[in-house]
Amino acid sequence: MIADLIEAVAKILFIFGVNMGFFAPVLGWVERKQSAVMQDRVGANRADIFGFTLIGLLHPVADTIKLLTKEDFIPAGANKLFHTLAPFITLTPALIAFSVIPFGGQYEIYGHTINLVIADLDVGILFIFAFASLSIYGVVLGGWSSNNNWSFLGAMRASAQMLSYEVAMGLAIIGVIMVYGSLRLTDIGAMQENFFKWGIFLQPIGFILFIACATAENKRIPFDIPEAETEIVAGYFTEYSSMKFIMFWMAEFLEMITIAGIITTLFLGAWHIPFISSKMLLSLFSFAGANGATILVMLTNIATFFTKIIFMIWFQMTIRWTLPRFRYDQMMKLGWKILLPLSLINIFITGLVLLL
Amino acid sequence: MSYGLFLMSRVCNFMSDITKELHTEHMVINMGPSHPVTHGTVKFVVTLDGETIVNFEVEIGYLHRGFEKMCESGLWEQAFPYTDRLNYVSSMINNVGYALAVEKLIGIDTPERCKYIRVIVSELSRLSDHFTNVAASGLELGAFTAFLYFVEARDLIWDLLESICGARLTSNYVRIGGLKNDLPEGFKGHTARVFKRCRELWIDVDKLLTKNRIFLDRVRDVGIMSPDDAIAYGFTGPCLRASGVPYDVRKAQPYLVYDRMDFEIPIGEKGDNFDRYLVRMEEINQSMRIVEQALDNIPDGPINVDMPEYRWQSKDDIYTKIESVIFHFKTVVEGIKPPEGEVYFAVEGGNGELGFYLVSNGSGKPYKCRVRPPCFPLTAAMPKMVTGSLIADVVPTFDMINMIGGECDR
Amino acid sequence: MNTLGINEKKTEINRNLQSSVSILQPYMIGSIPIDKLKPKKVRKNTELTLWERLYIPEIVRGMVVTTRHFIFNMIGFVFPPNGKKRSIFTVYYPEEKLTLPDAYRGRPVLVMREDGTERCVACGLCEKICPALCISILGGERENKERYPTYYTLDMSLCVFCGFCEEVCPKEAILMSDEYEGLAEYDRKNMLYPKEKLLVSEKKLQKRIDYVRKIYSKCNY
Repeated sequence: MIADLIEAVAKILFIFGVNMGFFAPVLGWVERKQSAVMQDRVGANRADIFGFTLIGLLHPVADTIKLLTKEDFIPAGANKLFHTLAPFITLTPALIAFSVIPFGGQYEIYGHTINLVIADLDVGILFIFAFASLSIYGVVLGGWSSNNNWSFLGAMRASAQMLSYEVAMGLAIIGVIMVYGSLRLTDIGAMQENFFKWGIFLQPIGFILFIACATAENKRIPFDIPEAETEIVAGYFTEYSSMKFIMFWMAEFLEMITIAGIITTLFLGAWHIPFISSKMLLSLFSFAGANGATILVMLTNIATFFTKIIFMIWFQMTIRWTLPRFRYDQMMKLGWKILLPLSLINIFITGLVLLL
Repeated sequence: MSYGLFLMSRVCNFMSDITKELHTEHMVINMGPSHPVTHGTVKFVVTLDGETIVNFEVEIGYLHRGFEKMCESGLWEQAFPYTDRLNYVSSMINNVGYALAVEKLIGIDTPERCKYIRVIVSELSRLSDHFTNVAASGLELGAFTAFLYFVEARDLIWDLLESICGARLTSNYVRIGGLKNDLPEGFKGHTARVFKRCRELWIDVDKLLTKNRIFLDRVRDVGIMSPDDAIAYGFTGPCLRASGVPYDVRKAQPYLVYDRMDFEIPIGEKGDNFDRYLVRMEEINQSMRIVEQALDNIPDGPINVDMPEYRWQSKDDIYTKIESVIFHFKTVVEGIKPPEGEVYFAVEGGNGELGFYLVSNGSGKPYKCRVRPPCFPLTAAMPKMVTGSLIADVVPTFDMINMIGGECDR
Repeated sequence: MNTLGINEKKTEINRNLQSSVSILQPYMIGSIPIDKLKPKKVRKNTELTLWERLYIPEIVRGMVVTTRHFIFNMIGFVFPPNGKKRSIFTVYYPEEKLTLPDAYRGRPVLVMREDGTERCVACGLCEKICPALCISILGGERENKERYPTYYTLDMSLCVFCGFCEEVCPKEAILMSDEYEGLAEYDRKNMLYPKEKLLVSEKKLQKRIDYVRKIYSKCNY
């Protein structure tokens, strides 16, 4: 009982620490530095402590200090309650959604079974979608309550965009669920031990569709229409400053991590290393004794999982810094007339193949 | 089946009732003067129906500095630093245009080498203008990487200009009857290196944008101007050529040594933003060709006319001859005195026909100095180009007409 | 000489008018035949081709371009090319500086002779030609009857770095140096540079003096 409690708390602290303490601030640095290197620039490197810049890694710290000490501004005529509530509503689902994503398999250590997922729900994927759709409220409330034309336009765009892409995203996943026959993410992950059974090989169309829809859900270029800065200034968070602004910002990065996690779990073989099965790993680490070998395998799997997540984040960043953005109507056309039929066709084909 | 049709017709009736009775309200928003898209400080008063533009008004004048009046209150030469600040991305062309106008008024024919150098610096400035414009079009549509690749190319071009005249933007290089100084040593090799890198970057940007469906959707069939409309509005330059009219001042009224250069006029078909983009991309190549030809054929010799009454004398003379010093004092203090008369001279600027209309009353100061800014007619056509389209279409259209505040508002 | 005399002015204007009217004839500018104009159609297709319709191939091509830049620059960080610290185009500004060309026009300075006096004879040409009206001079005489500026002020908040003062100076007394740092101030009063702040010794400016002699030498006229 106590062991279970300790396990649960440890897992929560680990994921929370990795996401909030490591990924969310560091992604700001990664975004700056990666874009800089892609664009033949140096990137952020000015923040320093006693002359040590640590290749710009102190910028997240400096940003946080700056944003914490800024004035928390609420515009005149704004609805104070909703204006304050909106960033929280946006951030919370982004944080919670990661709790059902497994970052490792099941391990027997000293007679205690460890399942490396915070909440092993049997409807894990539905849980993620349910919470992802909640973040619409934050965006719409934030845009509406700011009492600003630009924010309002951004909120309208955001609501339309996120609602329509939710449909296509859900349908893009169904192919995967049909192939693996489970909604439980740990099961889906466990079934991808064989390299050629990874989701990306079984569901290539689903993979592309899901990346497109997920980018749209996350409101990043090429789908950053709700916050297109050259059209509607900054969209729904035009009037936000200080810590509320950083919460929108963090929500975006956390969603990026969550998307990377889902893609890894569903399409990229979860915590498995290609061509190396768990048994091979166990025999490789057999020098450490039975329990030690299991612990080493567990650590290897966690490392593999996060390596894949980092790769997917790099991939999303590359997309973001390569492409221009869509126009509002073109994006809606893409969502309803191309992605939705394609995902339906994908389901149909998957069904046919499964039947035959 | 019939029941389905019945249901459909009921739904359609219901929807049309909704649209009839739905209370909608037009929203008026002020884009600018400090809005990310209105670089160059201009204000759009946009009336929106949802996202569709119902009415579009342009308010200019936020960068009005009284250029013409300033020119009229200074000596003839003193206008050169002011002309730098017209179209500040291609300042050399403004310098060349003003100098040519005054020279036409006086009747000076500059030496061959001077003409070639003027062609070179004009084309380099045009390159920087087009690089900036295409880069900004990428930036404003969200493609930040394409922007920085071309900004790198532009920076290399500015390195070239800096090595010629000593400043990147505010060149102040051309003089009446000559130039400030000759080309630096090793300029040809430097240019060849820069152009090699520029071509690489051109290919990269071409790969990033030209066939990318997202970019194509944003710029195709947006901001269409037919050739008749374009001429009626007074379009010149890349925007007119994009509409399919092969009008280029460099070909229509060749000045300097453009008639000896081998280059093509890129023209578009439909006159939309994509055509403008393609025309500019092709003009970058043509300008590079012109610079290379000019550098191949440039003769040796003097770069200034030996006319002390119009061009300040050589320092060698001033240091050694007392008559030269006295005459130098006279020309600097009183200014050069072109004969009475009026003149209009147009050069092909970055955005089109950049004309200078000068009136002289025989004194040391211009009696009247009027600039025909190429982007003023283009900005005036903005409402025609964007009314009825979406607010997102303002972005590529305004970028592709390349309104530069310093030039439009003067 | 006189190829564009003013007596041709009126006909010139008429010709401009005519040519602008005849633009309306498609593909004809004035009397210039089409083959001399060399128009080149840049638009290959007015409809989207199948290749363009598919989003993915061109997106992949763009990502290959950016990834190539990314990889080469990362390699450049780790293994810098010869003579450079990294292969990236930009520089860390305050730590590293660009080499300025000879022509560079920085802060205008007054040349100080070796005995500590200024070369300037307070003739006032720079004051006259300055388009920004930033120079003000008050002349005086030394005991040996040599003129010198008792008061020479250059308002750096007005200066536009055009270099006219250098060009008209008959004594090589004012030059554009290659200094460009430390010109910003919090107070306008500090932007008013007195003579003492402007004086720089001859030796430091020798390179610029040579350059100025070269560009305004007789062979260029």
